Amino acid sequence: MKHLLLTLLATAALAGAAQQVVVQEHRRLLQGVEGPAYYPALDASGTRLLFTDADACGLKLYDFNDDVTTRITALPGAGMDAFFGGDGKVYYVTQELREHNLVYRTGHAYDVARHTDAVVLDAQHGAVHPVKAMRGAALKGENRSFRAPATMGLTVYTEGSTVVIGRDGRERAYTPVPSHAGYLWASLSPDATRVAFFAAERGICIIDLDGNLLAELGNYEMPAWLNEHYLVAQHATDDGHQFTSSQILLLKDDGSWTHALTQPSSMTMQPTAARGRVVYTTIDGNLFEMTLQIVEP
Amino acid sequence: MKKSILTTAFALMAGMALAQQPHVYINPGHGGHGSDDRNVVIPPFAAGDTLGFWESNSNLWKGFALQETLRRKGYRTSISRLKNQEANDLNLSTIVALCNSSGADVFYSIHSNASGYGDSHAFNYPMGIYRGYTGQPQVPNSDKLAADLGETLIENQSTVWTNGGRYIIYGDWTFYPDWGLQGLGVLRGNKAVSMLDEGSFHDYYPEAYRLLSHDYDWVEGWNFSIGADRYFGRLDNFDKGVVTGCIRDDRVLREAAYQMVGVDTRVPVDRATVRLLDTNGQEVAVAQTDSLWNGIYLFKYVEPGNYQVEAVGAEHEPMVKPVTVEANATAYCNFDLKKIRNTPPVVLSCSPQWADGDDPLLCNVPVVMQFNWDMDTQSVEQAFTITPQVKGHFTWEDSNYRVTFAPDDAYAANTRYTVTLGAAACHGGGTPMGEDFTITFTTDSRRHLEQLAVFPTQDAQVHLTKLVVEFRTDSLMNPYDLNKHFHVFDSDGNEMTFAMRSVKNNKKSDTFGFIRLPLARDLVPGQDYRLVVDREVADYDGIHIPDTLHIGFHAVDAALQLRDGGEVTPLGGDDVQATLPGGDAWASLARAAGLLGGKALQVKYDFAKTDATSLRVDLGGLQGPSFAQGDTLAVLLQGDMSFNHLVATTADGLDLPLDVIDFNGWKCARARVDWPGNHRVDGFVLQRPDDARVAKQGTAGTLLIDGLARFKRGKHTDIADVQLRGVSVGPNPATDYLVATADALIQAVELVRLDGVTVARNAANYINVTGIPAGVYLMRVHVNGLTSTHKVMVAK
Repeated sequence: MKHLLLTLLATAALAGAAQQVVVQEHRRLLQGVEGPAYYPALDASGTRLLFTDADACGLKLYDFNDDVTTRITALPGAGMDAFFGGDGKVYYVTQELREHNLVYRTGHAYDVARHTDAVVLDAQHGAVHPVKAMRGAALKGENRSFRAPATMGLTVYTEGSTVVIGRDGRERAYTPVPSHAGYLWASLSPDATRVAFFAAERGICIIDLDGNLLAELGNYEMPAWLNEHYLVAQHATDDGHQFTSSQILLLKDDGSWTHALTQPSSMTMQPTAARGRVVYTTIDGNLFEMTLQIVEP
Repeated sequence: MKKSILTTAFALMAGMALAQQPHVYINPGHGGHGSDDRNVVIPPFAAGDTLGFWESNSNLWKGFALQETLRRKGYRTSISRLKNQEANDLNLSTIVALCNSSGADVFYSIHSNASGYGDSHAFNYPMGIYRGYTGQPQVPNSDKLAADLGETLIENQSTVWTNGGRYIIYGDWTFYPDWGLQGLGVLRGNKAVSMLDEGSFHDYYPEAYRLLSHDYDWVEGWNFSIGADRYFGRLDNFDKGVVTGCIRDDRVLREAAYQMVGVDTRVPVDRATVRLLDTNGQEVAVAQTDSLWNGIYLFKYVEPGNYQVEAVGAEHEPMVKPVTVEANATAYCNFDLKKIRNTPPVVLSCSPQWADGDDPLLCNVPVVMQFNWDMDTQSVEQAFTITPQVKGHFTWEDSNYRVTFAPDDAYAANTRYTVTLGAAACHGGGTPMGEDFTITFTTDSRRHLEQLAVFPTQDAQVHLTKLVVEFRTDSLMNPYDLNKHFHVFDSDGNEMTFAMRSVKNNKKSDTFGFIRLPLARDLVPGQDYRLVVDREVADYDGIHIPDTLHIGFHAVDAALQLRDGGEVTPLGGDDVQATLPGGDAWASLARAAGLLGGKALQVKYDFAKTDATSLRVDLGGLQGPSFAQGDTLAVLLQGDMSFNHLVATTADGLDLPLDVIDFNGWKCARARVDWPGNHRVDGFVLQRPDDARVAKQGTAGTLLIDGLARFKRGKHTDIADVQLRGVSVGPNPATDYLVATADALIQAVELVRLDGVTVARNAANYINVTGIPAGVYLMRVHVNGLTSTHKVMVAK
């Protein structure tokens, strides 16, 4: 990784008119403390981090401020799509098999300040979508949903091949680009003016709050806003069975600029970002933290 | 208000129904006909033709069928792709996320398998894999999902299973023990009850042809839906069945070089018409087999009951079979159709055509008979006699219309043979010929192509670099595909490749046969190797060598052998005043790159330009070691396989025979000093013996002589650098990860130091090299029980 840092600095020094990326810090997280960690998710302040194991079983919280890791739950499925609500709580979904071998999913909220965990959405069959909101959060099930509080401000989630944007409870679904397989990984920009999401067969898209397509950033996965104008994403290749390369990219929100933060051979994946801090993992579960400064030309 | 209540009630009921509706996520594996897709090249399709067999095509057709049948059965479905373009080849983590987001109850990833051996092996059976150790699925019930599916898939009677009809189920952590906990990409992080099914083996070629049939793929998708019904307890929820099967000729064999098992050895019937008849003989439906050599037909969504199925081909007699259709089940009904044959068989033509007074024939002449019908092979072979008796074998071609008898070895020389096909020989319909058919011929005097020389020889110690395999025969070898009959294997059985652009072989103008095959890669000192020369090496008349040759040899570092002997005296230096007394007109001396890093003495000669039978090289000013009795003199030689003899001479008049130059490349040649006193080398003599091998080689050549020392034993390592086709490793150099790719599943990779010590091993296709010191390593990639080794560099 030292080699990577030097490379990036050299790239920055050589870049003329383009943006310059300065890696201020790049380090391994929780080395020797935690086992393999996957699906990292930062809160909006970039100071708290959720992570889980390779199968999303269980959920843990790491606080950068006090360097303490807390186990939130050991339940299966909890680590996938867990997120911080606008109210600071951690929302996650667990699952269990019930009659006729149907999968039922239950919504939970973990109060970080009080270290308390509560079921907020009883078990139901079918999908339960995480809904990210400016204030609070929601879990939208096929039969019942949870919202907290009632007026959450802007909300965003994907459902099938639509991205759903809500304003104080009034939701509208958009399909700005065609995608048979569906949309994923929707998130609001930090300034709450745009939405980034991934459209299968197409890649990462940026739309405004009225669903108008602003930019397409390329066929990368798992977009996460680094700041108001930059995102990080995963760019991976595979042979149909196994990954053959994976790297983290830095993308300008208008699609005009792409910069490799790691090499394809680094097998780095699943990035999350907030306020200049990037956290990602590797194929064998090593968490890394990278803080970036981007100097505009 | 009333309307509102009704609407609400209806919505609630619909919601409850939805709540109980199983949701299946379908992932037709691969996609896009790209590098991560699987193309099996089967005629008439060329490599890369998207209409030919691609795993992504058949996976998609199966997925379509599963989606269609599940929807008819009241399921919710999601499917990861509807097309087969590069954009539809979604990343593994995208597929997992889409499944999780859909809220599906189960996930099927639809694939077919490959042994990795291509057409040389016959494996065909279905296999289900879930995430976790076998019996311990990471997502509970995934093992049950696989078992419920397998129970239906294995009942498929249109195919031929090669494992006795068992559905194989594994957890991916158990099946790929070297992958650790990485497992299959589409199962990793997948929260649905999930599995990946390898429905059959697409590199079992008869199966690849079946997978070209949309009907065959449809049946597999339909069988998936029955597996889902079994898993969700819904087997009684569907009231239609399916009739399908395979139509083959009852005896005509499929003529192909690939492996076939059981009934797959017989030809499928293309464009056969199949009618489904009710109990009154009324036609219910009509189907047809396609023209892609699979013989598959299908009737979808048939009402349960008793039926008759009639099959007929353009050249085959009709056949009728009863079949019973049950609800939500597959009724298999295969046919073995009889070809229409309406006259007795006769021999239309035969070779050889020979009569008394004609020139005798070659000792390998085959007997070929062409018939008017496809013949019953067993009756023909039983009715065939040759006198005097000769062991031989039959090959059948042209759908059994033509038989060839070839002797296992050559016939006896100068012998008259009589061949008779008895009257009992029958065609495929059972009618005999009725009268005997007889020919005679006489053979000439030459039985085999004789070997004159070969290198390496048995137990030879061969220098590791630039090995040139050479084989000489007493007449010209047929150069067509000649190189394919020469093989060098390492001690692990991996075949090494030749530098094909540098292969040289005899031309029509040459007086004897030869081929020289340089290896593409160096040998590893200390390793044992094996040269195999196939018995099929033959001259232009097809006269082959008497038997396959197996020659074991050992790789050494000749320079190391010499250096281990002690102090080395260079012979190509300026301080050595080398001369050729008496050989100036037909020989020359020069300096050329030696093996020890400096210059070697280069001797060029041409005995054709002189009456002399030896050439002396004087080494004036040589300050070499002094040899006492019992010492061994060692010299580095680069041979030209001239079969000349090389003798070292000493200042006090001793002749020390060093070696016969029966080798190519470098060699540490030795001579023991058995005379008392101290002796210093003052030159060499190259002697031309009276040897047929020399005469055949020609008279000109070049010999290099490098250092001079006493002999010591050599050293070795034990790492082979042999690479399999289709396996690659990158990036090189690597700083973070080394990743291997292959056409088949990679079981594990290892990183090995050049001294043989393994420094890292991973059960996936990559190694994290961030903690490994910079340097040159060998990366071993394990694929299907074979190992491919690649030299790589780790950088910091």
